[in-house]
Amino acid sequence: MPGMNSGLNDDNATLVAAFRAALLHQGIYVLLIFAILAVAWVSAREWLRPARQARPAAPEPAWRELLRIGFGVIWIFDGLLQAQPDMPAGLPSQVIEPTAASSPTWVQHVVNWAGTTWSYHPIQASAAAVWIQIGIGVWLIAAPRGIWSRLGGLASVAWGLVVWVFGEAFGGIFAPGLTWLFGAPGAALFYCAAGALIALPERAWRTPRLGRAVLSAMGLFFAGMAVLQAWPGRGFWQGTVHGKQGTLTGMVGSMATTPQPAVFAHWVAAFASFTAAHGFAVNLFAVIALAAIGAGLLSAGLPEAGLPAPPLWLIRATVIAMIAACLADWVLIEDFGFFGGLGTDPNSMIPLSLVVVAGYLALTPGRAVATAPEAEPAVNPPAVPADVTAAEPATAAAAEPARRRWHDQPARLARAFGGASTRVVIVVWAAAIVVVGAAPMALAQANHNAAPIIAQAIDGNAAPLDFKAAAFTLTDQNGKQVSLASLRGKVVLLTFLDPVCTNDCPQIAQEFRGADQVLGASSRHVELVAIVANPLYHSLAYTRAFDAQERMTSVPNWLYLTGSLAQLQRVWKDYAIAAQILPAGGMIAHSDVAYVIDASGYTRTELNFDPGPGTASSESSFSVELTQAAEQTLRSS
Amino acid sequence: MSGIRRLAAPAVGALLAAGAIAGCGSTPAPSAAPRAAPPPPPLATSVASTAGPSWTVVEMGGSAAQENNFWQLFVRPAGATAWRLATPLGVADNGGLVIASAGSGSLVTGFRPSQLLTYSPLAASTDDGTSWSPAGPLSASLADAPDALAAGPDGALIALTDGGARAELGQRLGAAWTRLSSASALAATSAGRACGVTGLTAAAFSGGTTMLGAACGRPGVAGIFVRSGGTWRAAGPALPAALGREDVDVLALTTAGTGLEALLQAEAGAHSSLIAAWSSGASWTLSAPLPTGGRPLRSTAAGPGAAVGVILGDGRGETLSGPGAAWHALPALPKWTATLALGPAARVDALAADGGTFKDWQLGAAGWSLAQTVHVNIPYGSSS
Repeated sequence: MPGMNSGLNDDNATLVAAFRAALLHQGIYVLLIFAILAVAWVSAREWLRPARQARPAAPEPAWRELLRIGFGVIWIFDGLLQAQPDMPAGLPSQVIEPTAASSPTWVQHVVNWAGTTWSYHPIQASAAAVWIQIGIGVWLIAAPRGIWSRLGGLASVAWGLVVWVFGEAFGGIFAPGLTWLFGAPGAALFYCAAGALIALPERAWRTPRLGRAVLSAMGLFFAGMAVLQAWPGRGFWQGTVHGKQGTLTGMVGSMATTPQPAVFAHWVAAFASFTAAHGFAVNLFAVIALAAIGAGLLSAGLPEAGLPAPPLWLIRATVIAMIAACLADWVLIEDFGFFGGLGTDPNSMIPLSLVVVAGYLALTPGRAVATAPEAEPAVNPPAVPADVTAAEPATAAAAEPARRRWHDQPARLARAFGGASTRVVIVVWAAAIVVVGAAPMALAQANHNAAPIIAQAIDGNAAPLDFKAAAFTLTDQNGKQVSLASLRGKVVLLTFLDPVCTNDCPQIAQEFRGADQVLGASSRHVELVAIVANPLYHSLAYTRAFDAQERMTSVPNWLYLTGSLAQLQRVWKDYAIAAQILPAGGMIAHSDVAYVIDASGYTRTELNFDPGPGTASSESSFSVELTQAAEQTLRSS
Repeated sequence: MSGIRRLAAPAVGALLAAGAIAGCGSTPAPSAAPRAAPPPPPLATSVASTAGPSWTVVEMGGSAAQENNFWQLFVRPAGATAWRLATPLGVADNGGLVIASAGSGSLVTGFRPSQLLTYSPLAASTDDGTSWSPAGPLSASLADAPDALAAGPDGALIALTDGGARAELGQRLGAAWTRLSSASALAATSAGRACGVTGLTAAAFSGGTTMLGAACGRPGVAGIFVRSGGTWRAAGPALPAALGREDVDVLALTTAGTGLEALLQAEAGAHSSLIAAWSSGASWTLSAPLPTGGRPLRSTAAGPGAAVGVILGDGRGETLSGPGAAWHALPALPKWTATLALGPAARVDALAADGGTFKDWQLGAAGWSLAQTVHVNIPYGSSS
């Protein structure tokens, strides 16, 4: 009803239930795939007696294992966070778009596009984020070596970039107020960096140059962040400014208000108070710490410039200091990053620490090899030709001659699969998890119209009806008499609109217009009919003005009907429409409803049609809901 | 090859740096852009004639950002002492009300569109706002200016639309509309070129002729135009030499008896002043300039005998009793005063609006005294 606020809450029960149902369905598929893979693998091993793959000569270095397992766990954790019930409705409006709000317009355009895309198919998008991230996590953990392991790294890079650009608005690097303290340059960028390191070929694993490069790059990063933190005029040097919170105080204070366990909120609030009182000292400490850590890490790269290497203890001390600083920041400033019901990851400090520690471990690859556990079998795709993995240790499968005939391939594949390790089976399963999440989203994206679940979330489900529609004869926008009987043979989508309404009615008209477009060729069997719902402004001049405003004049099957007040009141009564004159200054309060009348004049469906927040996705969703109701009635006519 | 690489990196860096510096340093020279007209005065206003009723429009309710502001129209019929609510029903008026008096208890009210409404519904009353009939509609958005709508004889209307870019002429209370002029068309006439028209700001009927007020881009010119013989000619007053370097805008244009009353704002830099101008047909009388303190006007009022009242940006109230009179400063206005109302016998009222309460403070020898309180049922939340 116009005059009533109607938005879509984050915890909308319909959306939450649909999200849970989608996760449950996809979870069942994931388990089924696992079961099928397991049965197939066990069967292949038992019946085909394949040759077991040879074990590789060298183990995975410690730095890579740390990155792979560390980021694998983080991806799984992020995936579980994405399963929080508020994600479908809340992520675009509460996370994605606000993140970009202070960035330049072009960033906002990019991010808002993603937010709109998400909001058109909130269930599929939310579920996709869950399964893709869990899949990548499992993939990374399960694949220690070989091409599948490197592909896992690349998957991490690819999805990390998607999250960084669309979810984190490029980590806020184009926004004012950029600071390491709050996670610049975005946690997902470290996921990408880690993924890229994991994807490196084995020949790059065992040289300390890699460790030096990683630590030098991180040293540069810390030094840059120190300069940024020290830069005057950004509000970090003051705890309070003219009685208002300084930049850091405000940031920390806002984190303290996030719903979370009381003890954490207390810590963060206490630190906000401390920052307000000692803003200069806190920032000075941050600048010095960042600069010192930056210098320490940069020193690891000295040998690359022909200078003597710093003592290892110096690097180790720097890394320990960095971990301490990151932990303090993570707890007191970033507030763990994942509370509040819409937290998508534990923010940047843990990933950042993992990358730096990996860089440190890579400085000493020899020790990593020496302390490595029992060598793991290579995780290679079962049917990869030998030349693709030429740089990898040879395996029995890879040694198969390429000249095998094509009809030998299934048996060869089956034998190779049977000969694969448990890890290979889990990696294949992990890739399948990613596909289970991504495929429905990709299919949904192929449809440019929003899912009808949004309309149902706003107004509930359509009510089936079965009674003769009340007759009426009114005047259309062209001055012609139109009766309901004259529309027999067509499905009629009927609604009631106030021509001078300022919010709902224009939206509903656009949703009818959208339904006409979605119907396509079927629209010739459908008549879109609106009847005036204003007892004061109901002249032809006003229906025409409304049509011009809403560009309905170009919709051939659109009728906007009016009549005398007595005629209108009779129709309103027959269709249970309230049209109440509000006190001075208010518009007419009238029912927002749509009826679907079949070709024989029977009312088949009633749709509550309060158009909600009027976003592009909700309007599109209502159009789709109307279309589906019309098509269903057409089929049953 | 490695030597080339060593050279190439700094070279590329230098080029990028040079490009960045060039980009930073190449600020374009300022161009001679036309002067932006100052914002029009708010729609809060009042209109009164010697023998007819007094009308006033004030903004009531709550936050405009939350669509909880509701403009209300009040009338004080001729001979009456109390105001009553007369807002036409059936249309959300969060965008504002613009009124045009046609004399003898007749009024046309235009609703400025808000939210998704893009055209302006109209309503007309001939019985002091007791009953209303839908008029129009105006297919475009009524401009945000107190004199954007003018009512003339036989149901003729002038409406400024699209932010003052166009003027439409309506017949039969807006049942049919034709283009009267536009800012660009007026600017192309010889009279318009002399003014350097930048936008249309007010409309009026005077003696059956159509008149338009404009903001002028050329200093020292008052942009008042009359349509005569199918062409527009300048009708504005010649301004004194002291205003020769100041840009002048017509803020209000009101029929006063058989003549015309205009309120002009002259500004040069941070300095601005108001000048009232009265035309008896053949000549103009100008008031002394009233410095405004450089802040936008809050309200205008037109009263019987060509009286003028204004509330300045700093909250001061000033009145002029008619042609040739001097500006008269009012005592400090009561809290929440939205506009002044000038009545017969030099009566001055301060009309205050706060939430759903409308108060009429009357000026007497002892200062302001509360004459009336009207509680209005505000339809909070109905437009959101």
